[in-house]
Amino acid sequence: MDAVKIIDSRGSACPGPITDLAKAYRNSKVGDIMELWATDKGVKADAQAWATKTGNEILEVKEDPEKISIKIKINKR
Amino acid sequence: MSKLSIVVFSGTTDKLLSVGVLSQAAAAMGTEVRLFVTFWGLLGFTKGEKKMILPKEFESMGPALMEGMKREKVSSWYDMVKEAKEFGAKVYACSMACGVMNIKKEDLDPIVDDMVGAATFLQEAEDGQMLFI
Repeated sequence: MDAVKIIDSRGSACPGPITDLAKAYRNSKVGDIMELWATDKGVKADAQAWATKTGNEILEVKEDPEKISIKIKINKR
Repeated sequence: MSKLSIVVFSGTTDKLLSVGVLSQAAAAMGTEVRLFVTFWGLLGFTKGEKKMILPKEFESMGPALMEGMKREKVSSWYDMVKEAKEFGAKVYACSMACGVMNIKKEDLDPIVDDMVGAATFLQEAEDGQMLFI
């Protein structure tokens, strides 16, 4: 399995993180796992909305004092 | 594919910021985005410096707004529209309003794809979501 691709959007305001995710998605392939790091509070719901809309899957959402990390599996290209 | 079309009527920075956020977010979600820029909106889509314009009733809050945007690292509405275009968003200037305001094609900012009429925009926007900002 390929390494998880980290998308570091910490410090970026909405809609920056979703845009960074969409850009990384362009260069992804089915089966890839991406991890989005963000500090924008809206990102949990936004990443879920993005995944639903694009047909991909949220595997895990973790929150620590520095960041919110969201693991996404690419199911559709 | 879902579609979002926005009639950009207002020329004040606060409303243009909404245009920017929604365009960029929708484009990132794979939605087809179209802006139809008309009347006061056109003032922001001509060549030259993009000035901050606030509605009279909120004018005194300008500095605080600028400060907050800098602190939160919020992009300018113009950069957001540019990001949306990177995902294929289209920006059209209303041909009638350009005529009324004496704006020629060469006066328009490079961010504008074309000058079109209302029928073209409506036809392209058909069966999608439409906003008037």
